Amino acid sequence: MSYVDRRRFLWVLFLIGLALIAVVAQATTLVRLRFQDLVHYSYSVARVRYIRAQTRMENGEIWTDTSFNVLNHNKGYLPAQIVVRQPGGKFQHLQSHVDGAPEFRPGDEVYLFLSGHPGRQFVIVGWGQGTFRIRRDLRTGGELVTQDSAETPVFDPVSNSFTKTGVKNLPIDVFEQRLKREMLREME
Amino acid sequence: MPTSLRKLSAVALTLFFTQWSATFAGGYSFNEIVPDVREPAGVSGGSACPLPSRQLTSPAAIAFRWSTVLGNNPTTILTQDQTAAGRLNEIEQAIQQSLSVWSNVSGTALTSASFAPLTRVASSNLCGSDGIDSICFDQADSAFTPGVLAFTRVITADQIGIQLGSGAPSTQVGQILDADIYFNPSDSLVTFATPAALAANPKAYDLESLLTHELGHSLGFSHSAVWSAMMFPFAPAPGTFTGIRPTVQQPDAPLSDDDRTGLRVLYHDLTDTQFVGSIQGRILPANPISLPASSPGVTGVFGSHVVAVDAASGSVIAGTLGGWSCRAPGPAQFDGTFEIDALSVNQSYKIYAESLNGAVGPSEVSNALVTLCRNPTTDPGWPPLQACVVPQPNLEFTAATLASP
Repeated sequence: MSYVDRRRFLWVLFLIGLALIAVVAQATTLVRLRFQDLVHYSYSVARVRYIRAQTRMENGEIWTDTSFNVLNHNKGYLPAQIVVRQPGGKFQHLQSHVDGAPEFRPGDEVYLFLSGHPGRQFVIVGWGQGTFRIRRDLRTGGELVTQDSAETPVFDPVSNSFTKTGVKNLPIDVFEQRLKREMLREME
Repeated sequence: MPTSLRKLSAVALTLFFTQWSATFAGGYSFNEIVPDVREPAGVSGGSACPLPSRQLTSPAAIAFRWSTVLGNNPTTILTQDQTAAGRLNEIEQAIQQSLSVWSNVSGTALTSASFAPLTRVASSNLCGSDGIDSICFDQADSAFTPGVLAFTRVITADQIGIQLGSGAPSTQVGQILDADIYFNPSDSLVTFATPAALAANPKAYDLESLLTHELGHSLGFSHSAVWSAMMFPFAPAPGTFTGIRPTVQQPDAPLSDDDRTGLRVLYHDLTDTQFVGSIQGRILPANPISLPASSPGVTGVFGSHVVAVDAASGSVIAGTLGGWSCRAPGPAQFDGTFEIDALSVNQSYKIYAESLNGAVGPSEVSNALVTLCRNPTTDPGWPPLQACVVPQPNLEFTAATLASP
């Protein structure tokens, strides 16, 4: 692609963005939750590792119950193993789709912001917004944390601009410090 | 492999070839389902290639009903007319308008005749897996958490002959058997306003925009990574609406070309001669060893976003999620293939490819990515020759283009 073409394409994207600035702000099914909102609304925040997922039909709806090992919990009490319930999944010959519900795979390690109570299935606060995936940085070997909804742009009517406030590739110790800070703020 | 080499080789070259042909199954952002090939070919089709979910389009095949039970603690649906009858009429008008946005796209088999008359039901808890498409404004659901506005449950079957509730048995694999739209009824901070009431309620969400988007899911759409699309996964800010309001002259005005193209692919009109163009290609790594070692059989970049732009106007016409192809008897091959179908003929297009680390991430289109494969682990007894594992989307590549051959 020539330089002129590339500039033209970027201008097109920019103009589309401008046209949409007035209208775009929140995820379709989700209201943007700030980090402190996630902390506030969650019963527990924990680092967990995927064990297995099981779909079931309950009250006429298909749900996916994902079991996680709790590696450590930053807020609230959790047993060593928890079950997180998500809408949708595959049950016998039926497949139920719910766009926006996070998907988990074997090997996944995530921080989850959970609502609910021990003894029952938990749900993830704000779905993808309360899901923070951990991956290892190939360069440094350190762990990085990225929120599922990190790319969700938020329109700030005061500055008349978009900002991305989600957590993306944050070193894990920085993430933990931020979490502790918000929890302390909430206790005050 | 040394880290530096892996990083260097993550720069991918994009090789495009263009050809015009009739449309065939591609990787648009639709909800996909893999037929159950453990069952006889007579009910499964015999191929493990993913198929997009869709509604039937025969006359009156899509029948929506809506619950007239509206919550008042809190009141979430705001209307201009405050009389009981006036409120319902105003809400119904918004639903009708949203349905007609989708049924008025030219060059598709989905027309207003595909929809049965909208019906009202004065009972609560209308939404459920009963084989009837429903819209509910006052039904609590344990999937709602703080921050969740609305969602759509879409149920499809992986073989024909499956019946759900009082619905008719499925006649196609991937046929949508039930699609229910739930609006959060219990968050005191969240309200939805009809178009007539929106101006007076600037903190409310536009009911019509959200309905139109959710109805897109009920027709089989997943999310789009094109900013201007109705199926872009971000709804209007409170007090505003998506795109342009529909008019009599242009009832599909709120949609973008990307939505229209997607609808034409999903509900292809066999009699149409205008939107039959197809652009195909593969996104290949400059260095094959940059491909993920953990997923054997991956020969191309998976999870790319490929956009067709009108060469003359610069308008974004369509985007698709690329990276796989499939030919019967399957399974899906992760060879970097993309395909953009239902393009208007006699136009020139430019193609752009990007990784899913921009405005939209893989989690927002996960339904279009994770349902492409089945295997003995996910489904005991699955034939190994038709099994595959979906690789992780490649988020690291940058693209360069080569001239068309």
